[in-house]
Amino acid sequence: MEYDENGVSIVPAELKKEIFEEARKDFRYEEYVRGCLNCGVCTGGCPPHRFFDFSPRIVLQKMKSKDPELIWTMMDEYVWACFQCFTCAMICPFLNSPGGVIAILREIAVRRGFESAKKVLKPYSRVLLKLTAYGNQLSPDMIQPDFFPDWGPHIGYASTDLAVKRKAIPMPTLQVTNLAWDVAPETMKELYDIFDEAGVFKIIESVDPSLYEIIQDIVDDVRSS
Amino acid sequence: MSENILVIGGGPAGLNAAVMLSELGVNVTLVERDSFLGGNPKKFKYKFLFPDMQPADNVIGELIKKTESADNIKVYYSSEVSDFKENGKKFDAVIKSTSGSETKTFDSVIVATGFEHFDPARDAKYSYQLFDDVIDIKDLERMMGENNFVRPSNGKPPKKVAFILCVGSRDRHVGNQYCSRVCCTVSVKQAIEMREHFPDCEAYIFYMDIRTYGFFEDLYWKAMEEHDVQIVKGRIAEITSGPDNTVVCKGEDTLLRGPFEIPFDMVVLASGMEGGSQSPEISSKLGIELDEHGFLKPENVTLSPFKSNKPGVFLAGACTGPKAISDSITEGAAAAMNAYTYAVKNR
Repeated sequence: MEYDENGVSIVPAELKKEIFEEARKDFRYEEYVRGCLNCGVCTGGCPPHRFFDFSPRIVLQKMKSKDPELIWTMMDEYVWACFQCFTCAMICPFLNSPGGVIAILREIAVRRGFESAKKVLKPYSRVLLKLTAYGNQLSPDMIQPDFFPDWGPHIGYASTDLAVKRKAIPMPTLQVTNLAWDVAPETMKELYDIFDEAGVFKIIESVDPSLYEIIQDIVDDVRSS
Repeated sequence: MSENILVIGGGPAGLNAAVMLSELGVNVTLVERDSFLGGNPKKFKYKFLFPDMQPADNVIGELIKKTESADNIKVYYSSEVSDFKENGKKFDAVIKSTSGSETKTFDSVIVATGFEHFDPARDAKYSYQLFDDVIDIKDLERMMGENNFVRPSNGKPPKKVAFILCVGSRDRHVGNQYCSRVCCTVSVKQAIEMREHFPDCEAYIFYMDIRTYGFFEDLYWKAMEEHDVQIVKGRIAEITSGPDNTVVCKGEDTLLRGPFEIPFDMVVLASGMEGGSQSPEISSKLGIELDEHGFLKPENVTLSPFKSNKPGVFLAGACTGPKAISDSITEGAAAAMNAYTYAVKNR
């Protein structure tokens, strides 16, 4: 993909318009975008604004501009700077939700398999696998020094002898390390139906095709059991 | 036989209505809930009034003096209208005071029950009542009135003060979407006053829009040009405590700096105006309409802003919405004229 001097990808005007229309048609749009007096309370209280060039006030203003060009400038990297803490929504005197607008735009980026979405979701592939295939979010075997450096200096120790440490937990556990809890096959099948209906599998297919294949193998196994 | 007219509320609007009616020869009954006349300006000891910085006493004191010296104005202090009934075109009202209840018949009624200052403690982001050095405009007005302008935390004069506009106004979270109209001008006035008397103290005003409407704009320019008041566009998101006993204002300077955290010795919140608990009370007691903002509703907001929906009951002053003292005094006169006309017609 080609990028302009601001690092914004160059795409046809029709696509920009489509993105804008898609956001406008979202069922949450009316609730999230109201009047805006540019007071700056949202940005003043925004945690990422301390660290990045990211401003919820600008997000809302660009959305309200109804200018597809301006909205497109947020689609590559900008929308991913938000922490989704929703402080902005909590403190906006007009009851706008810039964080909500970000959620709508992110979902569009993910649904359409934009490069930025692929890049951002890559580190989460193990979580996506556990979640969609097994109905678990984190399991003991996911604790590995390479994956969670931000968990502190003891992550190396924490990742060794998992089976023994699991047994030491003074409450009933599965005594396995590849799952956090047991999910019955019937429940898994229901979960798969929900993921199918909600388009979750389709989204994974568009952002990470190889992960999708792994997940589908497991899904097929469970469904045919 | 002269007319009998009831005026409820002894603030600027009610006082002027009573004085005008008394000059027309009407027997006026003035019911005041406090033990003194003058309303909020007196209660909170407003010192100087915008736009010309004249002493508040020149205005309020003058009206009180005229009221107290008129033979045909009967003032009931610490009192209320406890019962109200229509009697043909007239009205029967029970006035309850410390000396008992009295029933009187009136030809017409003027409601001038005024406003309440917004309580900034209701909006947690301003940390009012949490930090001693966060005060609001009425607190500052009282401090200035008592010649006691010091930091409440340590009794020392402040060196850097922030004024924050739109506290309790234009904010759906606190339920007040409207603009309180006068707080911008009051804050600018207070900043000028502060810079005049305490030139060593820096003044910052944080605003969303500066609404010094009409000629009040002169004060806004004066604050910038003659008194070096820093005027920053950005609403404050949070007030926290800072080092060296300071209070920190956190927000976005939407034009220049971007995000900021600035420590101050003192913060003054421009708390807005509300209909208070008296508006719904008087609305149900007298059977007149309340509007969606919590103030009393005029019959026609443009043609007859001083009339209620009930013939014979008139409205004056801030009970119908935020307004300046001069507007309240004007409305007091307009309501007096209308109440008098109604009384004479139905004699």
